Amino acid sequence: MPVPLPHVLIVSAGLFAIGFFGVLTRRNTIGILMSIELILNSANLNLVAFSRIWKGTGAEGQMAALLVIGIAAAGAVVGLALVLAIFRHRNTIAADEIRLLKG
Amino acid sequence: MPDAIGPFDLAAKAAFYAVAAGTLAGAWFAVSARNLFRAALGLALALFGVAALYLFLEAEFLAVTQLLVYVGAILTLLVFGVMLTARIADPSVARWNRQAAGASVLAAVIGGGLVWAYLQTPWPAETALAPPVPLPAIGRMIVSGYLLPFELLSLLLLGALVGALYVARKE
Repeated sequence: MPVPLPHVLIVSAGLFAIGFFGVLTRRNTIGILMSIELILNSANLNLVAFSRIWKGTGAEGQMAALLVIGIAAAGAVVGLALVLAIFRHRNTIAADEIRLLKG
Repeated sequence: MPDAIGPFDLAAKAAFYAVAAGTLAGAWFAVSARNLFRAALGLALALFGVAALYLFLEAEFLAVTQLLVYVGAILTLLVFGVMLTARIADPSVARWNRQAAGASVLAAVIGGGLVWAYLQTPWPAETALAPPVPLPAIGRMIVSGYLLPFELLSLLLLGALVGALYVARKE
């Protein structure tokens, strides 16, 4: 491996921090979905990096990352369907304008 | 790999730091761009960067899967969602809500704490790393030890497909 492992982990931590900030602050619901994808990518990066130093076959992290990619695809599909349904009913997808349940 | 730092090794290191910077820049663009279509382009840059980082970790199969599923499918889906719903070019729409200050502090604390922990940890030497996994080994794992999660994932995808069609259908 041409690069030291901690540097990959630091990139992943940065990716997580940026995605976390996006989830908390984005007003647009699709922006929140994009930030969630960033967080999942940072977790995948960590899984693959740690599987290199774990005493296994070295493929466990990659298997977990593959499953996470599949689940992320399912999540994006359902999330976008919800966004489209909300947009059709309320004509907005700003997360702070959707407050039907707020008393 | 020999211990002496050859020109190839140096080029690989330089490429890694360039890819890392590009990934983080794309991610920041994805959460900060006012125009949501440009945010999707930033996300594309970040996803390409993560695929390249998988190559640096010698996980080639995962890199190709990342390109196929994330860039090929999820990103296309997100761009469709952006086109169908958002007032993307409206500059009066605020990009962040009022939690931006607090959230940036929280994200900086978590990210900084992680980086601090990574720098404090004694990592095993380069020679102690597991060898890269050949593709046949991954294929065998999918249909042997990981068969149940694999089949459950296909069930989940089917459920997501039917559920998404039901939620997004016209009345």
